[in-house]
Amino acid sequence: MKIVLPSGRLLEDSISVLRQTIPGLTIEKNRELTHSNGNHEVLLAKPADVPTYVEEGADIGITGRDVVHEKSPDVFVPLSLPFGQCRVSVARMDEDSTTPRQMDGYRIATEYPSITREFFRSLGVAIEVIVVDGSTELAPSAGIADAVVDVVQTGNTLAANGLVEAKTILESSALLLVNRISQKTQFDRVNELVYSIREVVKNGS
Amino acid sequence: MNGNWINQSTSLSTVARVLRQNYDLWNYREILLPAIEEFEDELDKGTKFTDGMEFYVIKPDITSQILARLTDEKRRKLFYISEVLDGDTSGNWQFGAEYIGGDDLWMVLEIISSIITGLESLGIKDFFVDVGSKQVWESAISDIPDLREEVFSALYHRSFDLIDDLDITEEKKDQIWQLFNYRDKRCSYDRLNKILKNLDDERVFADFGTVRGMPYYEDLTFEIYSPGTGSPLGYGGEYTFFDSDACGFAFNLESVLEVFTGLERMERKKIGGPTKEKLTEAKNRIESGVPVEVES
Repeated sequence: MKIVLPSGRLLEDSISVLRQTIPGLTIEKNRELTHSNGNHEVLLAKPADVPTYVEEGADIGITGRDVVHEKSPDVFVPLSLPFGQCRVSVARMDEDSTTPRQMDGYRIATEYPSITREFFRSLGVAIEVIVVDGSTELAPSAGIADAVVDVVQTGNTLAANGLVEAKTILESSALLLVNRISQKTQFDRVNELVYSIREVVKNGS
Repeated sequence: MNGNWINQSTSLSTVARVLRQNYDLWNYREILLPAIEEFEDELDKGTKFTDGMEFYVIKPDITSQILARLTDEKRRKLFYISEVLDGDTSGNWQFGAEYIGGDDLWMVLEIISSIITGLESLGIKDFFVDVGSKQVWESAISDIPDLREEVFSALYHRSFDLIDDLDITEEKKDQIWQLFNYRDKRCSYDRLNKILKNLDDERVFADFGTVRGMPYYEDLTFEIYSPGTGSPLGYGGEYTFFDSDACGFAFNLESVLEVFTGLERMERKKIGGPTKEKLTEAKNRIESGVPVEVES
């Protein structure tokens, strides 16, 4: 089975959950992005790329709900996982008391253009999306945006850049993703693994 | 299509030709629909535009286009081939069939059987058809009517995490999860069991995670897929047209092309010689149904 895991902050918890269902699963601490584990091949990819890998051929993967909502991949999502909690929020400059409903004409910097557009469209507020690839919180102080939509864990990074949360758009945690065709053509194998992970999650292990 | 577009186009044409023959044998009639329609709410997909006076849609979903055009509920068996646009300039070529006004279960049986013979006539045998039921879900969530929309949204997106967010008991979530992951050769739903029993094909399964999101589907919906490609070969389901039952489906021809390895080429009679004689022989051969290749 081909498994794609997110590099970065979700990796340790992802391995921890999978190790309880796939005994002996290991990821060598080196720069290689592909690791063979008996019958399983584990790939490491950027969290934002995991849905694409699963959509295009990996059997299962783990990434954040924020990424899944942004990309809307054509995959099967049988489980949410109890780690990687964060939220996607609108944040504005500390001295700006505007609410999202009052942000008509704002330039919003974000790595989440779809989520951002959908959110402001639901409010009936016309904004301009500035797509950035990381360090989103710099955009207002650099003068290229009036506010941001960004992932928030503690809020410390926002505060350090003079920003405050104005509204939570989406609560996120890790999700298990399954390739739609694998879910059908390898139903027994995939379902057994999904059931095992679900039991691990339910038991809070 | 990329630089290899002639090969892709001829493969597409070959697939369309074989499927046309298949549906002709099943007694379906081909329909040709206009590329542009005046916009109506009933028309799904397609690319919308306006000339400043009216709104139009280019290449909409064909089933919705047929339903918007038909004005009576006579028994009809139709098929089509067309490109359907996704809201911009990109789209998918589809081959589909609609059976309107027949016996409800028979129409599903015939449509799925025609899918099986269609794929087999293309030399594609490694495929599956998973059949789900909207009514099974309606029944399963009848005790949480206020959350119906959210549950169906989760089903259409195939995302159980959306169910996890709902304010329902763990027991209810567990029941929904079991249904969400159910796939077998039999099930507790009589209508679906009759389909499986009568088709008697090891490639057809009951799968309650298969619920298509098109608004017109009423109960049974199905998806066709193959290990050879990452996206479904096609999908379809039951719907109601006026007071008549109907069933339809569409192949995504680009997915079909991914698993289509070609047909054996027919032997052609090579014809040469003086111009008048070779033309006469070519016409005679073709009248007799013999494929020819005339030297220029």
